[in-house]
Amino acid sequence: MGGPEPTDAALVARCRAGDDSAWAQLVERFSRYVFAICSQGFRLSRHDAEDVFQDVFARAYEHLPKLRNDDAIRPWLAQLTRRLCIDRLRDLTREAPADELDPDAMDELIENLDEALTVREALARIGEPCGDMLDRFFARDQSYRTIGEELDLPAGTIASRISRCLEKLKGAMEDSEALVSPEVG
Amino acid sequence: MATTDIEELGRLIAALPPTPEGWVRAAQELPQVRRGLDDLLARAEADTALRERLLADLESTLADAGIEPTRHVLADVRERLRSP
Repeated sequence: MGGPEPTDAALVARCRAGDDSAWAQLVERFSRYVFAICSQGFRLSRHDAEDVFQDVFARAYEHLPKLRNDDAIRPWLAQLTRRLCIDRLRDLTREAPADELDPDAMDELIENLDEALTVREALARIGEPCGDMLDRFFARDQSYRTIGEELDLPAGTIASRISRCLEKLKGAMEDSEALVSPEVG
Repeated sequence: MATTDIEELGRLIAALPPTPEGWVRAAQELPQVRRGLDDLLARAEADTALRERLLADLESTLADAGIEPTRHVLADVRERLRSP
């Protein structure tokens, strides 16, 4: 792969300059996040979640040039997704769905997803095969057997490999924590 | 503050399951699709026959222009054709 992942701000700047590959990377980076807000937060049907998902990225593409703070793309996308999900529910129910949604619970979910996105960034940093293996086991819910077959590894070794990869991920998270809090230690 | 607890890490990886591939691809292709549509609609402004073809058979005309007529693309073009 090569090279560190670009920051959100760098990616947004490249998108604004018309770099299609940066746009593809930005969609890849935030697709699960947007999808999770639609499906876990608002429990939209697959059809409605897809509509909102495409709408979020279409609007993001249009409004990227006007974004005031490139670093704030993540909260901006979260807010946009939240608003479009509420609009969709309103269209579906023809009444105010906000009454049924607990804003505190939604804030908590988005906070959790923010943290999950930070873990994904660390997952990208630890490289392959660990990133892929952990994603397959935890996010894609694949069995040891399936992972072994697809990665051409003995199924009996998958559990220990996952355990080692988790330790590696933990180390990567601690390294990024240390960078954020250099005064510690 | 990000967690470094092993069990919690597993839970957080699981919190972001994969998005259906087709959704991601469609969103990633947005810039190219937009440029293709802009070009097609600009030509349709000047070319009455093309505009009539678009109105009569949107899906085929888009496909002929190399634009995949997905549900979202069709909705976008219909909206743009309606607007003055």
